Formats: sequence, structure tokens, C-alpha cells
Amino acid sequence: MTKLNRRNFMKFAAGSGITMASGLGASQSAFAGSIKMQAGGRDFSPITKKERQAIPTACWQCVTRDSMIGYVEDGRLVKLEGHPDSIRTLGKLCAKGQAGVNQVYFPDRILYPMLRAGKRGEHKWKRISWDEALDLIASKLKPLRDAGTPELFMYQYGRHKASQAATMYDFMGAYGTKTIGNHTSVCEAAKWVGQESLWGGMYDNWDYDKTDYVVIFGSNQFETHTNHIPTSQRLIRAKVDRGVPLYVFDVRLTNTAAKADQWVPINVGQDGLVMLSMCNVIMNEGLYRKDHFKFMRVTEDYHATDEQKIAAVKKNVAKYTPEFAEKHSGVPADTIRKIARGFAKANSACLVTYRGTVMHYHGADQERAAMLLSAITNNLDRPGGRVMGVGAGWKHPSSPKAKVHKGLDVNDGFPDEAAYPTHHVSHQVLPMIKDGHAGRPKVYWWSCYNPGFINGDNKELQSILQDESLMPFLITSTIVYDESSQFADLILPDVTYLERWDWEDMVSANQIAEFYIRQPLVKPLGESRCQGDVWPELAKRIGFELAYTSKEDFVRQSCEMTPGVREAGGFEYMKKHGVWHDPDAKPNYGFYEAKVDVSGDGIILDEKTGVYWNWKKAGAASEAEAKKNGYLGTKGAKGAYVAQDIGGTAYLAYPPKTKFTKAGYLDFYSDNFAKKGLPAFPTYTPIPEHQKMAEDELNLTTYKVAVHTHSRTAHCKWLTEIKHDNPGWINTKTAEARGIKNGDKIRVYNDLGEITTTAYVTEGIIPGVIAISHHFGRKHSGVYGSGKRSPLPGEAAADPDVKNIWWNKHGTHPNAIIPNSSDPISGTQRWMDTVVRVAKA
Amino acid sequence: MSDTKGPEISRRKFLSGVGTAAVGTAALVAPGVNIEAASSKKAPRWVMVMDLRKCIGCRACTVACKSENDVSLGRFRAVIQEKTMGTFPNTKKAFLPLMCNHCEGNKEDGIPPCIKACPEYPGERAKFKTSNGKTIRYRKGATYKRPDGLVLIDKEKCIGCGKCIDACPYGVRSFDPFVKAGGDPSKQAVDKCDMCAHRVDNGVEPSCVNTCQGRARIFGDLNDPDSEVSKLVKAYDLAKADNVLLPEEGTDPHVFYIDPDNILKTLYTQRKKGKLDHFVDQMP
Repeated sequence: MTKLNRRNFMKFAAGSGITMASGLGASQSAFAGSIKMQAGGRDFSPITKKERQAIPTACWQCVTRDSMIGYVEDGRLVKLEGHPDSIRTLGKLCAKGQAGVNQVYFPDRILYPMLRAGKRGEHKWKRISWDEALDLIASKLKPLRDAGTPELFMYQYGRHKASQAATMYDFMGAYGTKTIGNHTSVCEAAKWVGQESLWGGMYDNWDYDKTDYVVIFGSNQFETHTNHIPTSQRLIRAKVDRGVPLYVFDVRLTNTAAKADQWVPINVGQDGLVMLSMCNVIMNEGLYRKDHFKFMRVTEDYHATDEQKIAAVKKNVAKYTPEFAEKHSGVPADTIRKIARGFAKANSACLVTYRGTVMHYHGADQERAAMLLSAITNNLDRPGGRVMGVGAGWKHPSSPKAKVHKGLDVNDGFPDEAAYPTHHVSHQVLPMIKDGHAGRPKVYWWSCYNPGFINGDNKELQSILQDESLMPFLITSTIVYDESSQFADLILPDVTYLERWDWEDMVSANQIAEFYIRQPLVKPLGESRCQGDVWPELAKRIGFELAYTSKEDFVRQSCEMTPGVREAGGFEYMKKHGVWHDPDAKPNYGFYEAKVDVSGDGIILDEKTGVYWNWKKAGAASEAEAKKNGYLGTKGAKGAYVAQDIGGTAYLAYPPKTKFTKAGYLDFYSDNFAKKGLPAFPTYTPIPEHQKMAEDELNLTTYKVAVHTHSRTAHCKWLTEIKHDNPGWINTKTAEARGIKNGDKIRVYNDLGEITTTAYVTEGIIPGVIAISHHFGRKHSGVYGSGKRSPLPGEAAADPDVKNIWWNKHGTHPNAIIPNSSDPISGTQRWMDTVVRVAKA
Repeated sequence: MSDTKGPEISRRKFLSGVGTAAVGTAALVAPGVNIEAASSKKAPRWVMVMDLRKCIGCRACTVACKSENDVSLGRFRAVIQEKTMGTFPNTKKAFLPLMCNHCEGNKEDGIPPCIKACPEYPGERAKFKTSNGKTIRYRKGATYKRPDGLVLIDKEKCIGCGKCIDACPYGVRSFDPFVKAGGDPSKQAVDKCDMCAHRVDNGVEPSCVNTCQGRARIFGDLNDPDSEVSKLVKAYDLAKADNVLLPEEGTDPHVFYIDPDNILKTLYTQRKKGKLDHFVDQMP
């Protein structure tokens, strides 16, 4: 088959009339031996046979945001497929991405601004105009701004990235509120906090095209991932085409585990222990690679020799023998030894973790263990290893900032809840607002977010939204009536991502940045409007101006401002081609090895840490004072980091690019952790709830399936048809002990409440666990997602498929019995620590 | 598979036994693939090779097909079957992609059972133009086989009798609730995978192939000895009965499976008579 690349795709599409001329009849043709088939980039109607209009754009079903081609027939979007020119996706698109078509045309889509007409939650609505809606919002927001209290306007988002986030932050900055919430603590915050404490940045990627060995903990790459399509296709090809060994540690036999050389069942919350035990094997058997120790700090001493560091790592992991790990994790000691040896001996190896590993008590420390294992085997940011993700760096216009710029302290959890909530504690935002000690917003606006569904104890969160005494005015921008928008005072009809402009920047799987855009495939349905078009309108009504007039204008300006994209042809080029990468770019590896010139004005060496820093840039009063207080004792020094002195050479090393103040070492001994009473070195810390479990109690874990995002796809009919129910996975022995047979109705309960589902009795899960996917049990998500129509006047074009719905189950939602409870290090929601009982209903 | 109520698909009218073309040969009939002989012909022979080592059960193919062909809810033109096997902790799970096998038909007459069951076959005479300008004559019908091997449906000619649905041992055909049968508008037309003939005829791979992450689905011309499918058929000896579904039916399927783990034998859930719920893509 022809492998299309960036250079020949458009050429091929344009010249295809000639290429295809031979043998093409009106309705039939043949080209035996003479024609190479084209993989994609063109599509035709199966009915009329006419070529469909092809428009490059980008997905938004999940955060992977694949670049893709949309096909339009008579003004209607009919098909999506991967962009054949993309170096990230290589022309592939997952099931969710393909079902993006359903996002535009599902019959319950919200198409008009709606004002609440009854009590909150009474489902009574009145259609209003956009003018009325914007005037109403301005009438709430302007007085807050004029009174010098812009922080009383809170905005919280679920999925905002790239220009969707940039336009929002730009508006909020110009308005003046810093009360902006996100959703990362329910996603994977612990993973980022663990990484930031070490290599000073975050988002690891895995170099599957070049790797020789892959070990995965608690990550289901073949079904779902934050960089799903770019990574999973490369992993399965590495496995089959190159015979790369793949080991998957998981409580459940996921599709990823199913394709591995071995599924290694592991008890809940023990991933970090097994990784530390692998470190134990590698250190004791002398299988470590010395190369990376010079970049590591493993004791208090900043100037330790490699030998001292090796001895210290050995000592710190000594207690995690494979036998000790077996006792707690259930993984046989010999299996740990086998995989540890294979991992260490491979020329390069990827250590992969995700939610299964980190959504726990001390989840951030589990990620630190993963980094340690990668570092001692010299697999950090080098070919075939665990690498720092490389994404596109766009330039974009910025509006003047407001004079008063303030925020409510509701984003980082309750006092002392989390030591380093650098990605916030989003699941506690509504509970904190209820609590009231940090103040309450007068206007709360959420977008692409469903707090009453996606957080723990979600029914309690719904009750907070419903209570008018807590927050008097609620706005949501959404395409679907859901568990949260039912309590809004004003619903704004958002566009789908297939009707809007964006530039995009998700990381590549090959260490070369890809710049790509999203453009509308069809005109927005009804009166739906892009948020990026709402901001300039709203700003005008409140009394300030933005640096752009529409989202399209923002994207156009960005394309003309961004080096590389600009020279390639800017906005017009991107509209036509959708993607761009620097053809001369080399894959980015080993950033820490860069040697740095430290002769610049103001650069001094900090004797204690070995950090070169610029005292002038840090804003120190004088060189003498800077030297006296030192790098660690000077506020602002972190931002003035220049290099790390290692054996007399100034390396870029691992700069502290995040909120962690640290030297340029990989901080496996972390002062930051030590001073807060947390383990300074990666440590096995048992999960408190699991230590006191009764004999008949089980761990509850949740997961994603291949055909759904967490909460934004239930109304996508092609996905929900395949998966609409979520029985509880339970091991045969665990079920037998409770008299439960496959298909039995079961109760799953704890102090928080009770849910009912059916039992999926299987040999594909470790005993002692019940696993329930977290997509279902929708109370509102339109007819496909919840079985009932949304109570809103006005609807999208009738969908004749509604009468073909054949399923009547809509599953159950496990979040109702999962408390909002944070990792004390990172503030991440501890999804996987919940303890339940299970009984036949 | 799992616990769901069957979709409407299984409740539609099915004719019993009449016209089924199961060839009662006891011995396994190897598919009639002969690369050397085939390469001298003028028309291509489109086939699919499914490399089961690379199928990760992601369902991109299932949904791509739904979208490409606007397939109504309750039925599929392509599905994945999956099954968990073995005893903990040595448990395995495997995936098996299914679609129309675009059968060659038995050795005697070269007519697949679905076509043999079609009351409208043989119908009008048609010409197939090859890339080198030659013409191959063949007979159409409400369902028929094109000289390039694609088994197609002409919904204008279809009378909605459902005999072909019943005759297909693989159960890949169903009534399309969106399209009336042209030959009897009181009934619905039959529908199934046509290998995206509308794309293939324009030199573009089928929609399920284009999006397959592991490149588990490989499409091409078996009459071209240099094609990837021809090379795979040769390299993996796919022309053996072991590498197609239900060889004992004598249908000579042209969807070949690279199957070192013997998934066809251990996983494949066949249709039950008068039912199609084996062909509904579901996850446990």
C-alpha cells in the first residue's frame, strides 16, 4: 500500500484524476497490479458515488486531539478519519474520534440559549436570544468588576486546551478574575506532581518506535490514553513487527494486558512497591547503568559522587525485596526478577504509568518510583525510553490585563489537604464553596465540564449546584443537557468542536513538534456559538476590548505570529493542509545534556547546590546579598536558574520549570517533600484504608473502555450502541464466596451509599476487587445516553435512528459511592482507594 | 456476549432453510486460491487479510464502518468478537474482527450461497472493464459477485425476501431499516459489507482498513503477485483451510486470518439459525 506522507498527500489528492483514470467506469473499475491504493485523504458517497468535500481539522473527543479529515456531503458532516499527513496520528483515528459525527447531530443537542423558568432542577426552561443572554451575563459580571471584586466570578472547565484555553484565559485576565478551576485532579494530577518534583516539567511520552522493552503499570494504552492514537498504534506495531517484549501490570485483564507477553495481575495500589522492588533487583544484581547518576540527587548531599549515590539508592531500596513485594502486591517474586532483569538489560526501555498507578494515597510518590526505575536504567529522554513530550509552541495575541486581578482560594483544596496541589484540587471546588471559608463566587460558569457527574460523591456535588443560597447565578456552556446543566440558571448552546476554530498542540510520539489546527466542518447548528466568539462580545458589553474579534481571528493571528507556521504560509496554509511540522527538525532527546554558557552578566554559582543562577534576573538587591542568601534562599531564584554544575561542567540538566523550587538535579532526594513530612526518597506507603479492610470487603476500581470518554460521549449513538452498560467485573472465586453467579444483580455499597449493577464473573480480574467502568449511569444525556429525551424546547434535525434504539440499559455510576478524598502530596482524587462490600441483590 | 437484550435485528423475519447453500462436503475444502493462475487474469481479486496479532479490539473499524456507510442502529457490517479464556492468573483475551467474507463460492459453480439463494439471480448482463481495457462479462442480480471478487447488493433489484440473510453461514447480512427494497417497496432492502466498493473503485482503501491502528487489516489484490496481501498469503500459507472461517461450508472465503494463536477455532461465535446476535458488537 502507498504510505502517504506529508509531501505526497495533497499532490496525490489533486492529481488523482489522472492516476485513477485507467479503468474507471461510471460505477465499476479495476486496476489489477497497476494501481497502489490510497490509504485515505479522499472519500466518496456510497449512494451517489460523488466525492465528498475533504476538510482538515482536529478531534476533541479526548485530550489526544488527533488531526483528522472531515468529509462533508451537501453541507452535512458524514465522516471523520485520521489526517494522512500527520506525524502524530499517521492517518489513524479511534472509535471515539470517528463517532464525533454524532456530537453534531444527536437529537437532544442544545441549540438555543435557555433561561431557567422554574426552580433549579425542575427542568423548566424558556428560550431567549443571545442578546438577552449576553446582556444578562454582563449585568452580573460588570458590577463585580466595577466593585473591584472580579474574583467573585468563577469559571471552571473540563476540557480546555490550546487556543480554547488561551482565549478563555485571555478573557479572564482582561476581566480580572483568577478564580479559574480545572479538572486535572480527577484525571492524573498526582502523575504530574511526581514528575515535576523530579525533572522540573511534565508529560512523559514513550518512544515506542525505537524501544526494545515495554513495562506498563495501570495504563490501558490500547483502549484509552491521553495520547492514545499516536502511542497505541506504535506500541502494537513495535510488539508484533519488532518483537518488543510487553509486560502489563493491572488489576484487570484490559485489552492492553490481553496483547502483552504477560498480563501480571497486581493488587490495588501496589504498583510503586513493585517498581521499587525492580529497582532492588537491578541495584543488587549490578544491572543499573551509571550514565544517569550524575544528573540524580539521592541524598541530602548535593555534591555526592556517583559511587555514593549508587550506594544510597541501593540502601534506600534494600527493604523492597521481591519477596516483600510479592507479599503485598501478589506478584510472584520470580516474575518481578524476570521483568526487572529484562527491563535493565534491554538497550532501551519504556516504563509507563497512568491512573491505575497514581490515583491513590501518595500517588505522586508512585510516579517518583517510576522515574527512579527509568533513571537508574538510563531510560530518561533518550531514544527508546521514557521521554519528555514535545508539542507545538504557538504564539498568540494577548489582550491588556485588568488593573484588579484577584482570585478566591477555592482551587487547592481545604487547608492542609495537599502539600503540592500544583494542578489544583478540582474535585473539592464545590465542597469548598459550600464550606464558604474561602468565599463563594456570585457567578459560577462551567464549560465542557460536568461536575455533578465526574467527581466523587457526585450527588452531593449536584446538591451544591442546586442550592441557590450558595451561588446565586450559574451559567453553563454545553452541547448536552446533563447532570450539572440541569441546575444552571442560564444554559449557553456551545458549538461542537467540529464547528469551531482552534490551533492545537498535543505532543508527538516521535519527539518532533506538530502544529495543527481545527476548523469548522459545518456551520454551527441552530444558534450554537463558540466560546471564543462569545468572549469579545461579552467584553464589549462589560466595557473592555480584546485583542481579537473572533476565534477565527485569534487563530489567524496566531498562525501569522508563530515562527515556522508563518513562513510555511500562515493561516491560509494551515486551512488548506491542517498540519505543519518543521521538515528539518530532529527528534528532541537528552535536553539535560545541553552544555550552557555561564559567562553572562549576573550569573553566579551557588556553592551549596551547584546551581548557576542569575541574581539580577532573580531581582536580588546585590550580588553579595544573593550569595549570602543563596539560590534556595532567594525568592525568584528558581526563575533565574541557568545551569547545574556537574563535575565542573555546566549542564542545562533538569531546570525547575514548575512550582517546585529545586536544583538542576533529578530530585530523588526531595527537600520539598522532606520539609512537609513526606518521604524524601521514593517510598512504599501502604494505603490507610486498605490496611484496615475487613475480610469481606473489596477494593473498588474504575476504568475506561475503548469506545467512550469519561463523560462526553454517552450521547454518541455509535459508541453507546457498543457499550451502554457497566457490569461489575469480579473474579470467579470472589464471586463464589458471595454466592454470586455471572449475570446476577448485585449491590455494591459502603458508608457513602449503594449502587446496583450486574456481576460480570471473570477470570480476567485479580481476586478481592470489583471493577466498574465510570462512563454510565447517566441521568441526563439525551435519548442515546440516558434513554430519555432532554426537557428542552428546540432540537437538532430529527434522527431516524432513534426508533432503532434496541438497548434499554444505561448502567450505573460508581462515583456515587466514591468519596472526594485527596492524595496528601498532590491533591489528586483517590479514585482507586475506595473500599466496598458486594452482595447479591 | 454479555448481558444485553438482543437488538431488533434478530427478530426480523427469517426464512427457514430454503435455499441455503451449505455444501455438505465432509472434508475441509481449501480456499481456491492459486496465485500463479490468478495473476494471469485481467481483473483484480480484492481480499482482506486480518493479522490477528495486531488487532487490539479498539473498535475503530466498527465505528468507521457505521459512519462511512450510515449503518442504522441494531445491525453492523463489521464487528469484533472478543472472548476471555483460561484460568486466573493465566487468563487470555482475544479479538476477532468479522465482516463479509466475499466468498468465491464452491468449486462446482463458483457461486456463494447468498447469491445462490437470491431469487433475482442471475439477472441482467453486465460488463466489467479492466485496467488494461479488457471487458469481462458477468451476471448481476439483487446480490451478485463482481469479477473483482466483491459480493455486492443491488438494493434497487432487491425484493427484501431475506433468503440471502438466511443463506449466509456467517450471518453478515441484515435488513436495512433506512432503505426500501427496490423490487418490492413493501419490504426493506438487504445490506452488508461491500468492502467499501465506492472507495475501492476510486482507488481508496476500505474505511475500516484506513483507520486500523495496528494495521491488522490489510486490503489488496490477490491477483497482483506483488501486492502485500499476495505476499502475506504466501508467507503465512493463508490459503489453508485453517486460516478462513467455516471452511467446511465450502464457500471459499476471501478474508484470510493470520492466526498463530488459533483464535478462529477458540473464539469464533457462529450465528445461530434464524439469529444474528453473534454479529452485534458488544463489550463485556
